[in-house]
Amino acid sequence: MTAPHHAGPRTDLAALREDFLDRLAASDEEGAITLALEALDGGLDVETVLLDVVAEAQREVGERWAAGTWTVVQEHVATHISERVVAAVARHRPADPPSGIGRIAVACLDGEWHALPARLLAEVLGRHGWEVTFLGSSVPAAQLAVHLHETGPDVVAISSSLPSRLPAARRMVEACRASGTPILAGGAAFGPEGEWAGAVGADGWAPDARAAAALLAGSFGAEDDGRVDDTSREEQALLHTRRAELVAGLGRRLRADHGHDPLTDEQLADDLGHLVDFLAAAVYVDDPGLLARFLRWVGTVAVPGGLAPAEIRPAIDDLADRLGDSPRTVALLRSDPVQEACSGEGAA
Amino acid sequence: MLTAADSLGHVDSTMPAGAPSPTPPRGMRSLHSRVLAGLSEAVVVTGPARPGGAYTIVHAANTAAERLLPGITAGLAVERVPHDAFRSAVAQQLPGFEAEVAGRVLVARAERLDDDVPPGADLLTCWYLRDVTDERRGSASLQRAQARAGFLAESGRALHGVLNLERTLRTAASLAAGFLAPTVLVLLADGSDAVRWARADAGRPRPHAGEMTRVELRAAPRLHEALVEEAPVDPWVSLELAELPVWNERPTGRIVVVPVPGTVVRGVLVLVEPADDEDVVPLAEEYATRVGTALSAAALFREQAHLGHVLQASLEPPPLPDDTRGAVVVGSAYRPARESLRVGGDFYEVLPRTAVGRTPFLLGDVCGKGIEAAVLSGRVRQSLHALRLVEQDPTTLLGLLNAALLDAADLDAAVTMPRFATMVLGDAEPLPDGGLRLRLATGGHPPPFVVRADGTVEEVDVVGSLVGALRDAEFSGTEVLLAPGETCLIYSDGVTEARGGPGGRDFYGEERLAAALSGCAGAPAQVVCERVVQLLSDWLAGRDHDDVALLALQAPPRPRPDRSRPDRPSPRPRPRPGHPPREAS
Repeated sequence: MTAPHHAGPRTDLAALREDFLDRLAASDEEGAITLALEALDGGLDVETVLLDVVAEAQREVGERWAAGTWTVVQEHVATHISERVVAAVARHRPADPPSGIGRIAVACLDGEWHALPARLLAEVLGRHGWEVTFLGSSVPAAQLAVHLHETGPDVVAISSSLPSRLPAARRMVEACRASGTPILAGGAAFGPEGEWAGAVGADGWAPDARAAAALLAGSFGAEDDGRVDDTSREEQALLHTRRAELVAGLGRRLRADHGHDPLTDEQLADDLGHLVDFLAAAVYVDDPGLLARFLRWVGTVAVPGGLAPAEIRPAIDDLADRLGDSPRTVALLRSDPVQEACSGEGAA
Repeated sequence: MLTAADSLGHVDSTMPAGAPSPTPPRGMRSLHSRVLAGLSEAVVVTGPARPGGAYTIVHAANTAAERLLPGITAGLAVERVPHDAFRSAVAQQLPGFEAEVAGRVLVARAERLDDDVPPGADLLTCWYLRDVTDERRGSASLQRAQARAGFLAESGRALHGVLNLERTLRTAASLAAGFLAPTVLVLLADGSDAVRWARADAGRPRPHAGEMTRVELRAAPRLHEALVEEAPVDPWVSLELAELPVWNERPTGRIVVVPVPGTVVRGVLVLVEPADDEDVVPLAEEYATRVGTALSAAALFREQAHLGHVLQASLEPPPLPDDTRGAVVVGSAYRPARESLRVGGDFYEVLPRTAVGRTPFLLGDVCGKGIEAAVLSGRVRQSLHALRLVEQDPTTLLGLLNAALLDAADLDAAVTMPRFATMVLGDAEPLPDGGLRLRLATGGHPPPFVVRADGTVEEVDVVGSLVGALRDAEFSGTEVLLAPGETCLIYSDGVTEARGGPGGRDFYGEERLAAALSGCAGAPAQVVCERVVQLLSDWLAGRDHDDVALLALQAPPRPRPDRSRPDRPSPRPRPRPGHPPREAS
């Protein structure tokens, strides 16, 4: 159903995006689908509707959530509706049969639940002639390995939005390397300019679905170098093993009243767990900037009971004390970008 | 101290400098000549014809030098030596040169005889020449041998990296392209009706692949014999190959065909215009053996994988009815313990609406994990499908299922492992007010939760014994009423018994689950399930877990009166740290 004042097909992208976002905000699945299908019938192509309307609106959803104006559940509902819209668009305008350009598997990193960007990539590549298998959100490495053996794709595309998930890429990358399948990385997890894609062993990085399609249209192939060296891997694994102990120790160190209020303790433990995860990821890709970005963000969003901005520096210092036998980790904690982020300084 | 004057005795030291001395003293000359002639190394001495002069001549050349540089001889002007490389090396005073003369590779090194040259004296240059033809040939063949060994080692690794047949075939073609020949074609018969092929051209990014039917192959009887009837490869087969519809450009040059042996599959390796080298064929044969092993392994895996797929498909939770505008909105999530298997001991299903307008559903958990548990869960589901034909009441159904499972266990005495299950089953009936009435019965399963519109979370009060354990088991049932938008969540104990959290040892527990559900009030059923699985995954932080299954049943929310932005209560924002931070500037 179209609102009566929409006399003709909507092709003004900004207005269309705004309307779409309103439907998401109102949890109006039917309305969102109708809007997208009418835009198609009005002459917009599938790629424009998927990327310039759905993906852009969803980016705004993520921003509202990161800023704390939307709850996690609101964000989930919006994402759910966008997924329904993608499915409806795909049904309304099915892709042509594969052109023989190649076979690709699209998967989210293990632990990555934001499947929509990967889903959009799958739809877009399907319209560029690729034979696409969409493996879904949070794909375990074992499942990817089985898929590689069964289907033998030419390329694997992995998607993730959270840098703290990067260490999970290791087993997926190993599975691909063993079969000589090149890996295309996508999403914010790999750094604002994709600078961490190489460190986890990916053969290339694309910021969005259009760029990915363009990159894949060329001679995208596996490279032999770019392996993560063993020292950083060992220290990252050590952080993972000691996570619980570090979180508990940090909690006692930071709060004199630790152990009195389970709810507060759990929120702090959540934040400290993320801190250790981001530290491990930063060690893994050997870039203090990854941790610094996280610290600056923690400093801007206050969560009741969670890690307070004033607690960041003591937490970092305490971690450096506890991790004395991990030279790379300590060097990273003491590095300028991390120290500046502790003081709320540095490039924001 | 050597100078042009005394080294070769051209000039008598008593003679005034600059005086010509075409003939050295007899004795000296013969000594030098005899010493030089006895050397196996070729030696040529060049220098000015007379001290201070610009005209350079060959002062001496021994027998070995005359053999390597035919035409050179002592006394000859350098400009008349019939070898370009030598002439230009002398003229430019190069430190050495390399040249090919009459099919031999020569390396020359220049030595300036300039120790303590007195002023005014002229320099002589001594050229030592070596024939390195055999040496070079030896080291080139060593390099080739190393390259071949490296190629075979690398191809072994690359070919066995993946067990996919088409992929292995393409890899086989691309590895060899550029090494064995510029264009390589691999054809494969795997017992099916088609012959698969893959062609790689050196310098092109991706190999081409396709299939030919047996009919198309009739035009190539010799190839057909080699591939399908396992006959030896006929040399004339290359004529047929050139006509096959597999080329970018029809090959016109030399074609070498090597059989690809295999236990399960059979193929041929076709090299187009390989290097004219006697080693190519043995190397190609060696390579083809490796290709054959890899292709056979991939073909076997494909059969096994197909078997696995058929089994898996029959055991996986069936897709939910995709009808959100119907009487009931459903959502589900499933995370088996052994993730590469994708099936496990948890199971759920929602069946199509019955004639009386009820939508039956169930969620259960059989004891055990992995494929054994999955097979048992399949049996439970099949039994229920049959029992539903005669009975619809959930509580009575559970009693019948209990008896059926115990009877089956008695019949199948070979299986000693316990086979019982816990489950919640029931059906959903739409009410005139837009709500939903659920009839539920449970056997030994955690009670479901109901999420009310205002965020209240209630546990459904229903208990019962394990299904399939005891003959006299008792099951009870209950009814739950859902208002529009309200949700009933059925879950397996893999959710609440997930061990994790900050300390890594705590159960996730009913309390955390209830708190999570409270935040999901009003969200679509699928979102509720996804949210719980995501929280659970964070809780687990990569640790092992039991099978996890969730099924949410929801009364369709009331249609919104208008599409304006709703006044949502804004609960305490608790953004999850770890969202990709946005650049503030």
